[in-house]
Amino acid sequence: MNYRYSHTIGFLSVSGRGFNNPVDLVVGEGGLLYVLNRAGSDVTERMVSKRISICTVEEGYIGEFGKGGVGRGEMMWPCAMAMSDDGYLFVSDEALHRISIFDRDGGFVESWGVRGTGEGEFNRPAGIAFDGDDNLLVADGLNNRVQRFTYEGRYLGGWGSAGSGCGEFNVPWGVSVGADGDVFVADWRNDRVQKFDADGKHLAVFGTPGAGEGQLHRPSGVSLDDDGNLYIADWGNHRVQVLDAEGRFFAALRGDAGMSTWSEEYFRANPDELEERQKADLEPILDPLTIYDARDESASIEKYFWGPTSVRIDDDYRIYVVDSCRHRIQVYQRETALS
Amino acid sequence: MADRDLALMAHLLRRAGFGAGRWELERYAAQGYEATVEELLHPEEAPPALEDEDLIRRYHIDQNSLIYVESCQAYWLYRMINTRRPLEEKIALFWHHIFATGYTKLNQPKAILKQVEMFRRHGLGSFRNLLVELSRDPAMLFWLDNKDNRKDAVNENYGREILELFSMGVGNYTEDDVRQCSRAFTGWTIRNASLHASRVSRDSVWPYGRLDWQFEYLSEDHDNGEKAFLGERGDFDGEEVIDIICRNPATARFVARHIYNFFVADEAPAPAWQTVPPKDPYAIDLLAAALVTHEYDIRSVLRTLFNSDFFKQSAFRRVKSPVEMVVGSARLSRSYEFPAVEDIRLGLQANFMGQNILDPPSVEGWHTGTEWINTAGLVNRINFAVDLFSDANKPGVRYIIDSLRGRRKSLSPPQFVDECLDMMGGIAASERTRRELDEHASLQGDLRFGTDADETEAVRRIVEMMQLVASSREYQLA
Repeated sequence: MNYRYSHTIGFLSVSGRGFNNPVDLVVGEGGLLYVLNRAGSDVTERMVSKRISICTVEEGYIGEFGKGGVGRGEMMWPCAMAMSDDGYLFVSDEALHRISIFDRDGGFVESWGVRGTGEGEFNRPAGIAFDGDDNLLVADGLNNRVQRFTYEGRYLGGWGSAGSGCGEFNVPWGVSVGADGDVFVADWRNDRVQKFDADGKHLAVFGTPGAGEGQLHRPSGVSLDDDGNLYIADWGNHRVQVLDAEGRFFAALRGDAGMSTWSEEYFRANPDELEERQKADLEPILDPLTIYDARDESASIEKYFWGPTSVRIDDDYRIYVVDSCRHRIQVYQRETALS
Repeated sequence: MADRDLALMAHLLRRAGFGAGRWELERYAAQGYEATVEELLHPEEAPPALEDEDLIRRYHIDQNSLIYVESCQAYWLYRMINTRRPLEEKIALFWHHIFATGYTKLNQPKAILKQVEMFRRHGLGSFRNLLVELSRDPAMLFWLDNKDNRKDAVNENYGREILELFSMGVGNYTEDDVRQCSRAFTGWTIRNASLHASRVSRDSVWPYGRLDWQFEYLSEDHDNGEKAFLGERGDFDGEEVIDIICRNPATARFVARHIYNFFVADEAPAPAWQTVPPKDPYAIDLLAAALVTHEYDIRSVLRTLFNSDFFKQSAFRRVKSPVEMVVGSARLSRSYEFPAVEDIRLGLQANFMGQNILDPPSVEGWHTGTEWINTAGLVNRINFAVDLFSDANKPGVRYIIDSLRGRRKSLSPPQFVDECLDMMGGIAASERTRRELDEHASLQGDLRFGTDADETEAVRRIVEMMQLVASSREYQLA
């Protein structure tokens, strides 16, 4: 067994300690975890839940910043984050078609980007990642392309167009940069991950549509460990898949969540609910007369991932799975090198 | 294409769907009325309702987990607006009106959406099977307390309502029948009922959101004893009780009246049916007979209905429900066609007009017809439609502008009014409405498209005329 379930961080909260539809995470200096909460629905009273939470891997709650809205420094459909070498947090927003920048303490710095189809413009910018030169790559979702910008938002170039051929995209989501500068894009609606060199030259395709090993359904996030292994948030199959550097299937994770520390504290304050829970069957066998898919299973069996949007790996080979519909982070530990 | 064919097609689509733009009506009219009825009656042969539901879940993250009622409302309304299977959604809405199940008691709105999903699967099939599915439906089991219906502690809530509101109507059974019916459904419950009840009572979404509910049959909690029900005797279970219900002539008449009220013309509310006779006894007799002849196959009954003269002559004899108003206006203007932040307003808009979808006021559902119309509701209906038609860039509005431009270089005021009424669904304006629209159109003379200035003014006037039509009495009717 190469991946051991470690523990779960977080639980559902409207504000403060906890998460609300988390969609991405970055590991910052000192191992601090920054968790991006998209927090639907989009009614006024839920704007407070759209925020960035800061905590530690041991579930120490540090604080939060940001809020929902359309003004400066506010977020509506935050999608992904990336941290620059000097510790600034960049956040994409699919509704406001812009990148917002915060300092590590949560102070709003600036935002850039406008809606459009021209060079440097966005239509629902999704995944973002820094390359080796501290330039920002943006998966420009509905424009079906990847664009590169300087730190300040100056357009440097891009590649891709709508389609299903090599180098074409269908509403791309996550993007990641490998140690050698190669770029990996979760080509969401084409059910695959594409690999490019640093200049955008197409190199490889991983995955075909489906639910089998190595197949993908609407992959949303992709990350790499130091050995070049690929960790894919297989969003529509509600699992995480691990492929080796050549793209061969290695492992699939379906989710193993237990109680986080914050959840245990909730139940200490609500012992009657805990008592009911302990009497219940939390892994029910689903009615064979009804047609169920992986999403139904995830909605019924709490430990499974439900719409995992992002996978991140830290220097200690911890794997963080952002479990968006269950409002938590499931943490796994890679124990040995793949072979 | 004869205008009367298009007007009839528009009528059919308002009732079997949520209305249709001229671009759709012409396709339907080209294939003919009866062929269109068949197409509508077989949604399973059409492409999937939505091109890609994953797009909704990606952009509306809350519509993936469906914790909140406003998320569930927006999800369903968006689906109604964009479906390629109009009758599949309309029949689901029909059964939601009849088997009214409300969020306020459940605190689990997704369970009601799952019930709606069941209506899509079974709503055009056998009414008998639909009642069986309804009796197994977790939201219904919770809503009418059948989860608490035990062999040694019978709860009569569901047993009563399945007779009174869901199949036969008062006056057709006795109190003892209610008791026996309830005994037959003992042991029909939801899995982990105690945990779910505890979470519902405190509206708990902790720690990790909600858990879906599932049906569970507890044989040890089922009363296997003999029951005397509606004149028959045996150790009936729930399915056998439903068989007996469907053999009773009162059931066919009761279901026929519901179908008439929803698809043909407004009737008195169901609780009054014991004393208020049907508006059209012939139609009720025909539909009830069709139910019996076709062994309660709803698809067959609707085929009879849509091809009947009384249906074809019933245009504009129903007041649009708020949901029909919201969805129909959105479809006609081609609004809400791709997931966007403003989708969340959809449920709120219907609610402002008086219909909080997925949360009916009681197990009786909504009172329909003229009861939809009150001062606040009417203002909200008009404001919503006027707002949608105010944007000349919306594809549906643009289509109408382009169509008028394509007709002639100029239109006289009466021609201008004719075209707008026609393009907005073959609306037959009353003399008074027509006079007011003509007077307004006459204020600025002919509608011209020659120069850039003419074009700008024509667009402004067409948008204004569409808004006036949307404000008319006739636009409130289906």
